[in-house]
Amino acid sequence: MPLRRKLADLVALLFAMAATLFGLIWLVWILWTTLAEGAAAITPALFTQMTPPPGSSGGLLNAFYGSAVMVLLALAIGTPLGIAAGTYLAEHGRNSRLAAVVSFLNDVLLSAPSIVIGLFVYELVVRPAGHFSGYAGALALAMILLPIVVRTTDESLRLVPNQMREAAFALGLPAWRVTSRIIYKSALSGIITGILLGLARIAGETAPLLFTALNNQFWSASIAQPLANVPVVIFQYAMSPYDEWHALAWAGALVLTTFVLGLNLMVRFFARKGSK
Amino acid sequence: MSPLPPAAPRSGAGADRLFRLVTAGAAWLVLILLGGAAASMAWGGRLAFETFGWGFVSSRDWDAVSGKFGALVPIYGTLATSIIALLIAVPVSIGIALFLTDIAPRWLRAPIGTAVELLAAIPSIIYGMWGLFVFAPFMAAHVEPWLNDRLGPLPVVGVLFTGPPIGIGLLTASIVLGIMVIPFITAVARDVFNAVPTSLKEAAVALGSTRWEILSRVTLPYTRSAIIGAIFLGLGRALGETMAVTFVLGNAHDLSASLLMPSNSIAAAIANEFTEADSELYRSSLIALAFLLFVVTFLVLSAAKLMLMRIGRTHGRTH
Amino acid sequence: MIELLDRLAAEALVMQSPAKIEVRGLEFFYGKTRALNAVDLTVSANAVTAIIGPSGCGKSTLLRTINRIYELYPDQRASGEIVIDGRNVLDPRYRLPELRRSVGMVFQKPTPFATNIRKNVAFALSYYERLPKAELADRVEDALRQAALWEEVKDKLDASALSLSGGQQQRLCIARTLAVRPEIILLDEPTSALDPISTAKIEELIHELRKHFTIVIVTHNMQQAARVSQRTAFFHLGELIEVGDTPQIFTNPHVQRTQDYITGRYG
Repeated sequence: MPLRRKLADLVALLFAMAATLFGLIWLVWILWTTLAEGAAAITPALFTQMTPPPGSSGGLLNAFYGSAVMVLLALAIGTPLGIAAGTYLAEHGRNSRLAAVVSFLNDVLLSAPSIVIGLFVYELVVRPAGHFSGYAGALALAMILLPIVVRTTDESLRLVPNQMREAAFALGLPAWRVTSRIIYKSALSGIITGILLGLARIAGETAPLLFTALNNQFWSASIAQPLANVPVVIFQYAMSPYDEWHALAWAGALVLTTFVLGLNLMVRFFARKGSK
Repeated sequence: MSPLPPAAPRSGAGADRLFRLVTAGAAWLVLILLGGAAASMAWGGRLAFETFGWGFVSSRDWDAVSGKFGALVPIYGTLATSIIALLIAVPVSIGIALFLTDIAPRWLRAPIGTAVELLAAIPSIIYGMWGLFVFAPFMAAHVEPWLNDRLGPLPVVGVLFTGPPIGIGLLTASIVLGIMVIPFITAVARDVFNAVPTSLKEAAVALGSTRWEILSRVTLPYTRSAIIGAIFLGLGRALGETMAVTFVLGNAHDLSASLLMPSNSIAAAIANEFTEADSELYRSSLIALAFLLFVVTFLVLSAAKLMLMRIGRTHGRTH
Repeated sequence: MIELLDRLAAEALVMQSPAKIEVRGLEFFYGKTRALNAVDLTVSANAVTAIIGPSGCGKSTLLRTINRIYELYPDQRASGEIVIDGRNVLDPRYRLPELRRSVGMVFQKPTPFATNIRKNVAFALSYYERLPKAELADRVEDALRQAALWEEVKDKLDASALSLSGGQQQRLCIARTLAVRPEIILLDEPTSALDPISTAKIEELIHELRKHFTIVIVTHNMQQAARVSQRTAFFHLGELIEVGDTPQIFTNPHVQRTQDYITGRYG
């Protein structure tokens, strides 16, 4: 083999390895930074105190609470709608124009800029109400969650072998029973995986909350008012000139990253195990 | 053992129809939400469009005091950062995909694959913080002075690299964006590389092809549609990325040829300024920006989906 | 010897059996492609009718028209008549749950539902009839006994159906079908995915079931058709070429094409 070809092959090999290394270096750098900076700021106070005024130290309790509330509310709204829509796409996908169009547009919505979604909810809810609220934040997060659940439900349902559907129909069961009793059971792990991955995604979303839930320095038990949440707190504190706020931002970043990545890894691990 | 007469089942066609109605309704909801978002942005931006007309797109103004707003700088910043991000991400992603599908030993593929996918799972605000506190200073201290000195003086290209080494700016933002986009392109590339029929690859091997030749003459041509689709997918994501860019782009409404200078992107401008916008026109201008962004990302993502559908791989990832 | 007499007695019975299913002028289309062409066939009650023929000849298609399972797919259509007990089941007014309760189907690949054994069998049953717990348990046991699976699973009814072997899963599917007490059982290549021992067990089962049910079996295995059936119908390219008593079809077919297929001229 001529040297030129061998050389080209070697270059390709080295490039592929370098590219992989390149990608991994960034991952390690980012995670290491988050760990180092965040760990220094992790104190018990983080989980027991509220967000402090400028220049003083405190915790992120209200932010954790607010995030948890909005994420759970978003799940409560987005999951049933997403499963229902995903079911329609999977079960009627073959013979419905609506299904084809929705499937296409759903995937576009999935990758759409989340800040546009935040603005939409602002125009829809915040403006008429005259104030920011946790409800608006939850709604925005639900809109981000929805296409994820739709897609994973659609995929999981399609994975159920057609023969199983036919066997259930051959017993004379009506369509809704076949789907709800047989198909869902079979696709359950896939659907749950999708929901958990969606959860990991919306837990870390900042942009849609900027104009909906905004933020609240104090403890707010009311969801109808601006609600503290982790991502926006991190944003505001990081962009501020105060060191104490920077430290808190890193601590929040570490907790958030641990949660999101931990959930991701856990879900993948169980998904892999289940498919073996 | 005589069979019983068939009894009427307890529920049937009625429940079926209801089920179909409910699920179809949910499907319609997805459509309505998307349409609603587009309509809402168009409506909110109408004041700005009416006031500035087509000049909105070509104007460099951004003055809250005098009430003059133009989209040129944010559009430029959005496009520049996205394109440079892709210039970085595309070769890297293909390299990683090649590594994972062909070069890496089998036991290494899953862990490294997962690691690359984790890049997509990291919330963008974390990228932003890391960018602001660690990477930008790094760029300012080590990279940008070098670029300024070595490449700045060059004839045509030089103007791209002259500027104060402050770290915050187009180049830094583009690099961060590029890293964020890598996992999306890699995921698709990896999928489609694996989907190339082994018979094709084996035939090439039998003819004595090297790994590079198989990639360039068999794999890439075969997966061309999907790879282009993946690139468009990455572009769509890059265009809409907000938080990471907001931290490191600088929120400066200046148009400059240099990559080292701060600038603005549509998403960053909205994120930084919306809550401070104190006039109807200001707000409307920002929403008009959002509308433009939405339209462009919609077109780009639709093109991506069409191309991915052709090879039967209809997706990137959901995460 | 006893087997032979048994067999002859069975054949004699069949000759006198009334027709359970009458197929008249059946045509079937996948989109624009015609898969069945003017099929006329009579299936006798309490007998096993085997449908044989090369791949793509329409035998599975025929089976799938009898319980109208093809209606799941919008581009598939059938015309003509299939008369069971005096009523045309292809008539859209004939309600599907009613039809599919009296016509059961077992598929080529065992498809147990992702639940435990007991629930698999009881599944359709509890949909059709509201039964007290004790009676439900009896019917489940009945069905499993009929499917010759009871002895093997009676101690683990709560175990997942997926933990059973392939042959056991297929018998579970048969039990599931039997639980609703159909009159007709359609078998679409029921043993082609199974090992020889499971195949033998299921053939034995078919032999037993025949006494109480009308069975139509599609098989690409001619020896199996010869073993289990009393009547055999040979299809080719969507047309019924010949139908008759099994011994006659396999030893003295009237049509040349049948002869060619039997002797392995084409497959």
